[in-house]
Amino acid sequence: MQAILGNYLPVLIFGVISLIIACAMLGAALFCAKQKPYAEKNSPYECGFPAFEDARQLFDVRYYLVGILFTIFDLEMVFLFPWALTLSKIGMFGFFSMLAFLVVLTVGFIYEWCKGALEWD
Amino acid sequence: MMPIILFYIFAVILLLSAVMVVISRNSVHAALFLVLAFCNASGLFLIAGAEFLAILLIAIYAGAVMILFLFIVMTMQTNLVQLKEGMQHYLPVGFCIAIVLVVELIIVAINWHIDPNVAEAARQPLLQNMSNTKALGSLIYTNYIFLFQMAGLVLLVAMIGAIVLTLRKRPTNRRQVVARQHMREPNQTLEMRSVELNKGVDDLGGYLRPKETYYGIAQEDSFGPKPGDKMDITEKRQEREQSK
Repeated sequence: MQAILGNYLPVLIFGVISLIIACAMLGAALFCAKQKPYAEKNSPYECGFPAFEDARQLFDVRYYLVGILFTIFDLEMVFLFPWALTLSKIGMFGFFSMLAFLVVLTVGFIYEWCKGALEWD
Repeated sequence: MMPIILFYIFAVILLLSAVMVVISRNSVHAALFLVLAFCNASGLFLIAGAEFLAILLIAIYAGAVMILFLFIVMTMQTNLVQLKEGMQHYLPVGFCIAIVLVVELIIVAINWHIDPNVAEAARQPLLQNMSNTKALGSLIYTNYIFLFQMAGLVLLVAMIGAIVLTLRKRPTNRRQVVARQHMREPNQTLEMRSVELNKGVDDLGGYLRPKETYYGIAQEDSFGPKPGDKMDITEKRQEREQSK
């Protein structure tokens, strides 16, 4: 367990350094810079008209479709990683079990291609 | 010593961000706190020695699933007043669901006991020269093949369900059908007319334009004249002359 953790020490160091840099930049802006806010300065545009409505609007549901299809193939990718590592041990049975898995997902892929879910039109 | 300190740091941040997910007013902030919670949970997985799960948590949950959460937040009604409108109406239903959840939790808590073998299994060292991912891989595809194939079917169902639920044809669709486009020949859509000097195109029976058949093979729900539409120039000219 300790050996595994040792491998990830650089990741931890990277995380800590990025945290320090982010805090330093935000903190420097907060404490060192002169801040004299007033109503005009805080408005979205110093010149021009204020926004008519909220910037957050309803999204098209097609973004969601693209996201969910991406997630599914992301999961497929996760299954491929351990398979690729152990392919020499699990033999033909493991190989063909993954192929069956891929065929099932390919059926779905062909379905969505023919349905036109991948096109934006 | 170091792992213990890290454990407490990760655990505290995890719990705090989980609380923030629940209590934050802005739902986008809640989603981002959820990302923080996932990242800390992956740190906890690393400390427990499950490195594959840790990477998976970041790749799947912090990456893909959070995108879906954000999309749901964005497709939701953002107006808080309108959100609270149905509050009175749905309160009893929500209360019933909460009671069911609490009862389930209590049942689980009563019946839950630690397997005596766990302590022994935890003491066993990891297999030599066998990383986490390899250990998983040597089991999933052979020993647990049925569960693995079930996972594939579940993914297929999710894919088809998402398409069926969200994909609908719009009247403004102008989808390109590449095969049709390649099959088309110039004389199917255009015709050549020779025009004499000093004479209008009208005398020749019209102007250069795509043939009717061009629109005939267009998508059913696309713009443009339909196959049955009157497009012959001679009819229009007759109408014009009659009106004179």
